[in-house]
Amino acid sequence: MSDLALAAPSLRSPAAEFWRRFRRKHVAVVAGCVLLAMIFAALAAPWIAPYGPATPDYDNVLAGPSWQHLCGTDTFGRDIFSRILWGGRISLTVGFVSVAMGGLAGVVLGLISGFFGGLVDSLIMRLMDVLLAFPGILLAIGVVALLGPGIDNVIYAIAVFSVPVFARLVRGSTLALKQTLYVQAARSIGVRAPLLMLRHILPGTLPSVIVYCSLRVGTSILTAAALSFIGLGAPPPSPEWGAMLAEGRSYLGVADQITLFPGLAIFITVLAFNLLGDGLRDALDQKLR
Amino acid sequence: MLEYLIRRLTGTIPVLLAVAAFVFLFVHMLPGDPARLVAGPDATPQDIAAVRADMGLDRPLVMQFLRYLSDTARLQLGRSIKTHQTVAELIGERFMPTLLLTVFAMAWSVVVGVGIGVLSGVKRGRWQDQVAMVLAISGISFPGFWLGLLLIDLFSVRLGWLPTGGYGGWQNFVLPAFTLGTAVAAVMARFTRSAFVEVTAEDYVRTARAKGVPERGVIWKHTLRNALIPVITLTGLQFGFLLGGAIVVETVFAWPGLGRLLVDSVAFRDYPVIQAEILLFSCEFVLINLIVDLLYAVVNPEIRLR
Amino acid sequence: MRHVVPRMLLAVALVFGAAGTAHAAKDLVVGFDANLTGLDPSDLNDNLSQSATRLMFEGLYMLDEHMKLQPQLAESFDASEDAKEFTFHLRKGVTFHDGTPFNAAAVKFSFDRAGNPENHLKRQSLYVMIDHTDVVDEYTVRMVLKYPFGAFVNNIAHPGALIVSPKSVQDFGKEVMRHPSGTGPYQFVSWSADTLKMKKSEHYWKPGVPKLDTITYRSVPENGARIAMLQAGEAQFIFPVPPEMIKALQNSPTITIFNEPSILVRYVALNTTRKPFSDPRVRQALNYAVDKQAFAKVVFSGYSDPMDSPLPPLLGYYQKQGSYPYDPAKAKALLAEAGYPNGFESTITGGAATLAQRGMQFVQQQLAVVGVTLKVEPLEAGVLTAKQFNVTGPQDATIVMNYGGWSSSTGDADWGMRPMLYSKSFPPVLFNLAWYSNAATDSAIEQGLATVDASKRATAYSEAQAQVWHDAPWIFLGVDHTLAAYSKKLHGAFMRPDQQFTLTADADLD
Repeated sequence: MSDLALAAPSLRSPAAEFWRRFRRKHVAVVAGCVLLAMIFAALAAPWIAPYGPATPDYDNVLAGPSWQHLCGTDTFGRDIFSRILWGGRISLTVGFVSVAMGGLAGVVLGLISGFFGGLVDSLIMRLMDVLLAFPGILLAIGVVALLGPGIDNVIYAIAVFSVPVFARLVRGSTLALKQTLYVQAARSIGVRAPLLMLRHILPGTLPSVIVYCSLRVGTSILTAAALSFIGLGAPPPSPEWGAMLAEGRSYLGVADQITLFPGLAIFITVLAFNLLGDGLRDALDQKLR
Repeated sequence: MLEYLIRRLTGTIPVLLAVAAFVFLFVHMLPGDPARLVAGPDATPQDIAAVRADMGLDRPLVMQFLRYLSDTARLQLGRSIKTHQTVAELIGERFMPTLLLTVFAMAWSVVVGVGIGVLSGVKRGRWQDQVAMVLAISGISFPGFWLGLLLIDLFSVRLGWLPTGGYGGWQNFVLPAFTLGTAVAAVMARFTRSAFVEVTAEDYVRTARAKGVPERGVIWKHTLRNALIPVITLTGLQFGFLLGGAIVVETVFAWPGLGRLLVDSVAFRDYPVIQAEILLFSCEFVLINLIVDLLYAVVNPEIRLR
Repeated sequence: MRHVVPRMLLAVALVFGAAGTAHAAKDLVVGFDANLTGLDPSDLNDNLSQSATRLMFEGLYMLDEHMKLQPQLAESFDASEDAKEFTFHLRKGVTFHDGTPFNAAAVKFSFDRAGNPENHLKRQSLYVMIDHTDVVDEYTVRMVLKYPFGAFVNNIAHPGALIVSPKSVQDFGKEVMRHPSGTGPYQFVSWSADTLKMKKSEHYWKPGVPKLDTITYRSVPENGARIAMLQAGEAQFIFPVPPEMIKALQNSPTITIFNEPSILVRYVALNTTRKPFSDPRVRQALNYAVDKQAFAKVVFSGYSDPMDSPLPPLLGYYQKQGSYPYDPAKAKALLAEAGYPNGFESTITGGAATLAQRGMQFVQQQLAVVGVTLKVEPLEAGVLTAKQFNVTGPQDATIVMNYGGWSSSTGDADWGMRPMLYSKSFPPVLFNLAWYSNAATDSAIEQGLATVDASKRATAYSEAQAQVWHDAPWIFLGVDHTLAAYSKKLHGAFMRPDQQFTLTADADLD
């Protein structure tokens, strides 16, 4: 975190300055703590989950919450609480990795587009427009159809959704940063384009990219759920939260625990990521002092 | 102005052509044979050959592509492989339900979202801000299909106030428009708030304040007007997305819209329908972008159209 | 809540003696998961569209609610000894909805049109055995076949052989699928996006029926929403109801559950040309390793019966073969005997629907107990069919275990076996995804088709079933129940064992 905040010019140590301001965003701090707890629970799943995520128990199907099964059991008698813990690994991975990949591609494209301008810019941005206009479901079907079902391909599909938004965002900041004094100065002393982009422009775009990443992780988790809804999500017996929710939706009114708990897990996680993102934005934005 | 419009519109023709070509290649690259899918698993080879010949799918791909390009250029969209209806008719039947649903969902979510955003921006950092933002963001954190099913269960089955779905009178719009709009309202609220806050920090707002312009005047006259620009951009973008047919909401609420048509067509690899739909979406995007640019000039006359 | 006001008005009307003057419209709304694909009976192959055309059109013969053959537009038929000539005696005094008369010429027109390859109609294969159709007189028509075909009358009781008005075809050409005109009890009103409307035909040949004024088909893809529709009184009949949701409807005082065995069999086709499935002991082992009772309970909430023959009990010529009782120890022993004491790894492929994913997961869990590790591969419909059918022979098949189902659309044993278990039905020709080939089975299937003699057919299919059961090219799982639900006010609506929605002639709403 610290070297990212370095980009923001400030008299106090930038990290300290950021922390001083972030600390005051109580909602965001709480959200951050919730997320840390979630990540910890997911990492510790093998040790703290009372049952295996795919262990069936046909004599104990669709049981309501009890002391043996905190969140009840599903149609195969699997323990929902354990599945949520294990599923956290998958859902959070889907969120982080897809955003990292989509963000990386988007940042690179946005940087190039904004920095060079002209024909390159038009080409890249038109491509992004096409990608935006292209319905996500078709894109996802394409990716999953061509690569086959599997959680990694779901991640690729979701990553593709994120690329154009990041590209637009970074292109905008790059255009603005290109005009700043220090970039102009660096350019005048003959700093090469790649170095200029990496050293002087990229760091300037990062605060908004980080903020956007934190917001986008939530969206990605929701997109995974929507993909499961149309049958293209994480294949069984994966306890990915969206897959659990989609698989259990026909038990509404029969065994509500199957949807309630994964639904809550998604809701809390996405909410926390969004609140954290808002807090980060406020803390990172120089104008808001 | 007129010249600007013409230039903008002609400029999009190559983009649309590129989209058309791209879509054709994309759908034909997808595994799956429409003739087989339409004819079903217990179809014999004769049955399948019949479908294939009927839809011209037995011709070489290059010929099909050229045929498709020339037909598209003449706005001949062809017939559905699955139902034999003309694509124009198929899309025509479903356009209005999607458009109206989008308009209703956008209308309430923009009003509520911008309202919450302004409230939060004005009361920045205070409890009203925090409560409003947590509420707004809750909307974006619900998986759409879950929210929709819960709403149906509550308002249609338990309370019996609203129909479960389907296209019809205003009652039919309430639940799907609400479900569709919650996510948009949340994005709007957050966006408005940050745009508002950003503008507040600008020099001219500070100056106005320093000059003793009453707070209410500062908010409405100086801040909101400029904060609206990014909000308009976002509205346009969201509108474009929703016009593509909200697949999840249309499925949950049995809405006869473009999103469901797309899902059905993809499931059957109904090439002509998929191709036409994507082209339509691209045109909508282009048009919306244009309207957004025009709106900038309306909101802030200092922005010139170039 | 919304019913309160009309009910109050009705009560007021009753008090003031005004009741009975106005005839309340009897409007039936039915909700299904899929959308119609068209209304030209000879160009359809999905159950839903076929069920709709069966309300507007009629065939010479039909299958009733028990899949029994019943005369409809024909009153009787005579068949030649060699099963090559069929003469039908037609019902008199019937007219199409467009006013033209139904007669032998109309039957010949309908059959010639549907069977002509140049018309590219999807149900052409129903007619391939017909050499020509003769009009004997105004109400007698004779069909001469190219080769003996014992199941011929069953074949033309298929909805693909419904009789269309010659005038409608001449008037509308290809667009006839938007302008259906038949002789059925209901006639077409409109079809747009996801809604089909029909109304009562005033000139139906059977007196006193139909009783319903209108029928509306609505497509409601989401299970929960469809059930909510029935609960809220917006629909009077819905299909399908996922097995796990029956519980939610069971205690409703206004709703009846429809729960009957179907002819849809669920099985896993094992690629018999590939190791380890080429060894019958392995295939038998897998059958012992899967607990069919648990399959019914866990996957179908109990609404499924274990398979005890490749044919379902409700199909003609079915014969119980026994069972592969759940016996993991025996399965392990058989696997060891075949050279797989530690099991093996494989992939099970199927559709992406929730129920299919659940079924595959169950098989995965069961086989894990005997050391067979499965990867579950749910595929989107288009990708799945591409994998199944884009092959030239067993050597390039990419599916080794296919989780799927089959329902004989003709209601005959022939179509219940030949597409999946006959060596000439390898993909891409038909659905033999097990690549199962056994000369004895082949010849039994051929014999069953070559005669109309019921006892000869029974012998043939008995042999075929026994052979397949022994060879175990499938993991035999279960026979689905057909689950639907309807309002207690509705009478005469049901699902046939082939899962086709059907209304009796006197179907009515209270």
